[in-house]
Amino acid sequence: MPDLLIFLFDLIAMFSIYLILNLSLCLEFGYGGIPDFGKVLFVAGGAYLVGGFAGRFASWMVGITGYDYIRSNSLVIFMENARLSGDLWLCLAVFIPSILLAILVGAILGYLASFPAIRLREDYLGMTLLSMGEVARVIGNNYPDLVGGSLGVQVPDPLAWAGEWRFPIASVVILLFSIAVWLYVDRVGHSPLGRTLRAIRDNETTAESLGKNVSDYRMKTLVVSSAIAALCGALYAFYTCGVVATTYNRLWWTFWPWLMVMLGGVSSSMGVLAGTLISTSVIKLVNLFKESLQPFLPFDVVWVESMIIGATMIIVLIRRPEGIFPEEPQVTSGMIGAKPPGDASGDTKS
Amino acid sequence: MLDPLVRDALLFGNLLSMMSLGLTLTYITSKVPNFAHGMLVSLGAYVPLMFAEVFGLDPYLSIPVAFLLGGFGSLLVYVLAMRPISRGGGSIVHLMMATLAAEAVFNGVINAFADFLQENFRVFSRAFTLRDLDFTFLDLPGVFIVSYVLCAVLFVALFILLTKTRFGVAMRATVENPSLAGVLGVDTNLVYAVSWFISGGLAGVSGCLIPFWVQTSPSTGSNYLLSIFCASVVGGLGSLAGAIAGGLALGISEIAVTNYLAGVVGYWIIPYRPVIPLLVMAVTLLLVPEGITGLLSGQVRRKA
Repeated sequence: MPDLLIFLFDLIAMFSIYLILNLSLCLEFGYGGIPDFGKVLFVAGGAYLVGGFAGRFASWMVGITGYDYIRSNSLVIFMENARLSGDLWLCLAVFIPSILLAILVGAILGYLASFPAIRLREDYLGMTLLSMGEVARVIGNNYPDLVGGSLGVQVPDPLAWAGEWRFPIASVVILLFSIAVWLYVDRVGHSPLGRTLRAIRDNETTAESLGKNVSDYRMKTLVVSSAIAALCGALYAFYTCGVVATTYNRLWWTFWPWLMVMLGGVSSSMGVLAGTLISTSVIKLVNLFKESLQPFLPFDVVWVESMIIGATMIIVLIRRPEGIFPEEPQVTSGMIGAKPPGDASGDTKS
Repeated sequence: MLDPLVRDALLFGNLLSMMSLGLTLTYITSKVPNFAHGMLVSLGAYVPLMFAEVFGLDPYLSIPVAFLLGGFGSLLVYVLAMRPISRGGGSIVHLMMATLAAEAVFNGVINAFADFLQENFRVFSRAFTLRDLDFTFLDLPGVFIVSYVLCAVLFVALFILLTKTRFGVAMRATVENPSLAGVLGVDTNLVYAVSWFISGGLAGVSGCLIPFWVQTSPSTGSNYLLSIFCASVVGGLGSLAGAIAGGLALGISEIAVTNYLAGVVGYWIIPYRPVIPLLVMAVTLLLVPEGITGLLSGQVRRKA
């Protein structure tokens, strides 16, 4: 395959994975107003499930016994992939339950996170969720039975049959998932549910006085968005064929998504799409050329990346905190007497 | 002769009380939990390494420099990010985001600096320790004594600043009611800048002592972030005395509990130490959200 195509499919995969994650952030923060500084927790939840479950499940399916899954991990996965490569149905039988369980794990974690999220103000909530995210990494890194501790584990490849076309197909599959999630979040944004969430975000007391159960809505928002984030983690684990706990750090899975949605516009599905596309393209392009910068630097070039990304975030927050696509007054299509956004007489934001 | 375990626990308590005092100081003035606070600790930790390995000086001489460096780092966060963002109408979430961004920048800078030291001066700049350069006094490691002296000096100095000087009164007035203080002629921007500077300075000083105690890497400070948050929350996040008390309490109990559990269930438990501050934080927020200070003032109210 030509290099350009490889680059494009790589970009599509990264874009789609982050699009899924960023949409979950759009749902919970953009619509629901819950500042989730522990995104990494839910991504790691989905990925850990795939790391810990998919391989064991596949061994059970194909009847590989007598091996310690963690200690002889690469051997077990090698044998599994040999079986999976000839059998599409077997692949699906491993892939689909793993994804569903990962979504379930994300939902459970989201339910747990809703306990602080219902009770705490933004600042306390930020600290609590950030701490929960850190603990997820500590546990993954130190409990070898889960995802192999600091060494990590490999994951059976449901696309083992695809040979040379494995990565392009994987990119397309993840893209399809991300389109589905985008359609869902876009629909929610234009639905009565979306308006309820926005009302809660903008003024909790008013929403409550109109009979909306605020804590119930917040809990459900967190459950759904965390399930989506876990889906992202699970797909990423399958895409990279492995899970290493240290990969699930605050910078990649909490900070980058926040940067991308702040850049595009956190409260609109178009904004999230634009922000994700721009950011992932820039990151991928920079990755192409950054090695050529190395001879001029007395340190590893990855640290420049960290500095630039942090500085970009601060500039975005100063210059355009509402993002490229600021939130527009919502008009539900087909609503009787709906006016175009331009001459909406009632103000939607206090 | 002190049991090394007790010594470690007390030392960590001292360090943590300095760190959480700094975090609480910026929190009560700007209402923002500073996620970059841990990285300021790491920043301070590289100053004694430079002094010892590059300049060949006694690393303890670096304490004032660590204070200044941490302070300037923190001041930069305030001047370049916090102030413009809050002037542009940024919400508290935007400000928290900006501190997370500042953490990413510091992470890059400190790691780049560590690489630079390694390349140009052949200094082990990751997982380094300065323990063999420490002195001993009455069979106690120097860092233990120094941590007490520093805590005493810094806390007393801060107390005098806040209660006995005009500027300190202005600072407290700004905490109580920024707009009223501004109307009365207090330069609130200066107050914010000074509190960010002192906060970073405290982080820098506590970071400066870490290499004398345990192995230090660029990520050391941000690994303590959980404990710092927890100590501040336990202290009530609204009071400086509470932050000191919370830091001491959490620092001591974190080490004591980990070591006790290691004896009971086995050594595999030790890496899970960060779970303790999370649990303590959760319990505090559920049962006594106002922290130690709220608890104490509640008792006072009940007596009256």
